[in-house]
Amino acid sequence: MQIFLILTTPILLSVASLLIRKQRVCGIVNSLGYSAVLFASIILFKETILSESAFFYFGFIYLDTLSAFFIFVISVIAFAAALYSIDYIKKDVEMGVISEKKAKIYYVLFNLFCFSMLFVPAVNNLGMLWVAIEMTTLISAFLVGFYNNKESVEAAWKYIIICSVGIIFALLGTILFSYAFSLSASMKNLNWSDMVASAGKMDKNILKIAFIFILVGYGTKAGLAPMHTWLPDAHSQAVAPVSALLSGVLLKTAIYAILRFGIITIKSVGFAYFGNLMILLGIISLAISCGFILVQKDLKRLLAYHSIEHVGIISIGLGIGGILGIGGAMLHVFNHAVTKALMFFGAGNVVNKYRTHNMHIIRGVISTMPFTGFMLLMGAFALAGMPPFSIFISEIFIICAAFLKGYYLVTFLLLGFIAVIFGAVVNHFSKILFGNIPKGMPVIKEPLSGKLAFLFLFIQICAVGIILPLIKKDLVWIVQKLFQV
Amino acid sequence: MQALILFAVLCSTYLMVIAKRIPALIRSFRYQSFCLFFTTLIIALREYRLDLYIIAGLLFILKVSLIPHLLYRVMNRIKASEDLGLFINTQLSLLWALAFTYLAWIFAVHFIAPSNEIQAGMLAVAFFIVLAGIFLMIFRMTALAQIIGLLAMENGIFLLASTVSGGMPFFVEIAIFFDVFVSVLIMGFFVYRINKLFTHIDVNKLSRLKG
Repeated sequence: MQIFLILTTPILLSVASLLIRKQRVCGIVNSLGYSAVLFASIILFKETILSESAFFYFGFIYLDTLSAFFIFVISVIAFAAALYSIDYIKKDVEMGVISEKKAKIYYVLFNLFCFSMLFVPAVNNLGMLWVAIEMTTLISAFLVGFYNNKESVEAAWKYIIICSVGIIFALLGTILFSYAFSLSASMKNLNWSDMVASAGKMDKNILKIAFIFILVGYGTKAGLAPMHTWLPDAHSQAVAPVSALLSGVLLKTAIYAILRFGIITIKSVGFAYFGNLMILLGIISLAISCGFILVQKDLKRLLAYHSIEHVGIISIGLGIGGILGIGGAMLHVFNHAVTKALMFFGAGNVVNKYRTHNMHIIRGVISTMPFTGFMLLMGAFALAGMPPFSIFISEIFIICAAFLKGYYLVTFLLLGFIAVIFGAVVNHFSKILFGNIPKGMPVIKEPLSGKLAFLFLFIQICAVGIILPLIKKDLVWIVQKLFQV
Repeated sequence: MQALILFAVLCSTYLMVIAKRIPALIRSFRYQSFCLFFTTLIIALREYRLDLYIIAGLLFILKVSLIPHLLYRVMNRIKASEDLGLFINTQLSLLWALAFTYLAWIFAVHFIAPSNEIQAGMLAVAFFIVLAGIFLMIFRMTALAQIIGLLAMENGIFLLASTVSGGMPFFVEIAIFFDVFVSVLIMGFFVYRINKLFTHIDVNKLSRLKG
């Protein structure tokens, strides 16, 4: 029953944001709400792991371990973003960037956005899944264009148009899936649980075409190259906490959708078809993001291209398959979400202080803002895949899986791109963090309230990296549980 | 009868492809939606199904009346030029459209394996509309044309859904209608903002964000 708490809390919070007069109180209520959501999602995850069968509610909500895992990831990032928003929005209001009234609109949209994302993994009906993902686009477009200047409105327009077109293809794919299903089962509905049960009988050719449409459609939303063009614009222009949500979890909801259709495809057509497509898109994403990361001048765009890189790695992991590959990919979903949220929070603070995205001007962050600078330093190493941070663990899983399965070329490319990106990250961040401070930039002390979100995420980055290797057996068991259907 | 309506859908889509000005484009979109409404109504009459009546009603209210009306209003309010800004002139566009029709036919017949001739025709027209929608979105410069291209694609998907699986489940269909309506509202809102900030709605000139 936790799912009802998880789904109703954001709605109640968005109503509350309308009623509460002060934006600061709004922010605190928000964080409390999301801590409840996080708590509920942990219990839900535990229950789905321990239970033998999936949970159904009214034939409409379907929860297995996979959905619970994604709900958990979304709750973690939503909680962190809510915490970070308190200070960030307060600063924006104080500096007169946005009005008090607009701050309240921000909280309303923030909650609706979180609701739409939490809704995605919970629905059983694939048509409703499509509607939910389209809703995430529509709501977050306002958050991308929130500052209402030329750049952000342009980004919002590109975002909404490209993602809407992409997602229309996903609808086409969904219809073809339902067609294949209706041919095989003489039953007409779009429920995933029914479809997967009769996956073996479906027409293979139709499913193959349909899955390509799905991959193009939801792949656009997931930021897989070459359909990624909206992503750097939207991520760089959105409000900082929303950038974290976009990059950390919005992309993952699309990955979730691809996975749901992928499971049906695998059951019918076989793993090789699914795997090869995912690996191909993953490698293209890595290659494209690698080039742009090397020459990037804009701090937030740099992080956005990192998202493309990591989505590519996740996609490769899923494409390789096996317990190591899929387990690595799922872990990477969580690790990337946590790390990238931390980085976007840091970038938000930096951009707020230096009033620019340009990395040639941002210098000496570690002396002007010691705490944020330190977090950015750790985050950058984590993002690039240094041990002992968590991303290292998931990347090594995926690389091991690729080696064991004999994908030598893929491993070679993967390692090569990761190495180049590592160099680029160290280069960019060493300049930002340790360069000479621009003249007249005062050193500031950061309040504790602004640090909480960072610490919350940082603990998870370190803890996962250190604990995971110790609990290998449980991990294998959970991964098996994820895809037991 | 069905073949006749299908032909009408095809013609209205051709009209959309060769339209030079925004009002003409909106008008042809209205024709296209009306044809879809008519097909749905006929099926509803034949099969006595209440849900199809409701869907037909929604089609009429939203896509034939409300959305074109909204688009006209946006167009009048922003007072931008009515020119669509063609990257490709009308003759060439028509040739492209013919090529798309052929492609859609090939795709429908070879890959989906339809059961009879009418279904094959419907599939081909549906895929053609989707392709024409993409074409409009890519080769017309104004933001409004992109919205209409998107709506046309959605119409194509609707036709496809009603062909291959007898429509989607009822409440999914309703949710999708709602979704489309909301997205048009939001996009219209952004067109206002673009016009206000940039004093034009030429998306080709939106190029501040690069790299």
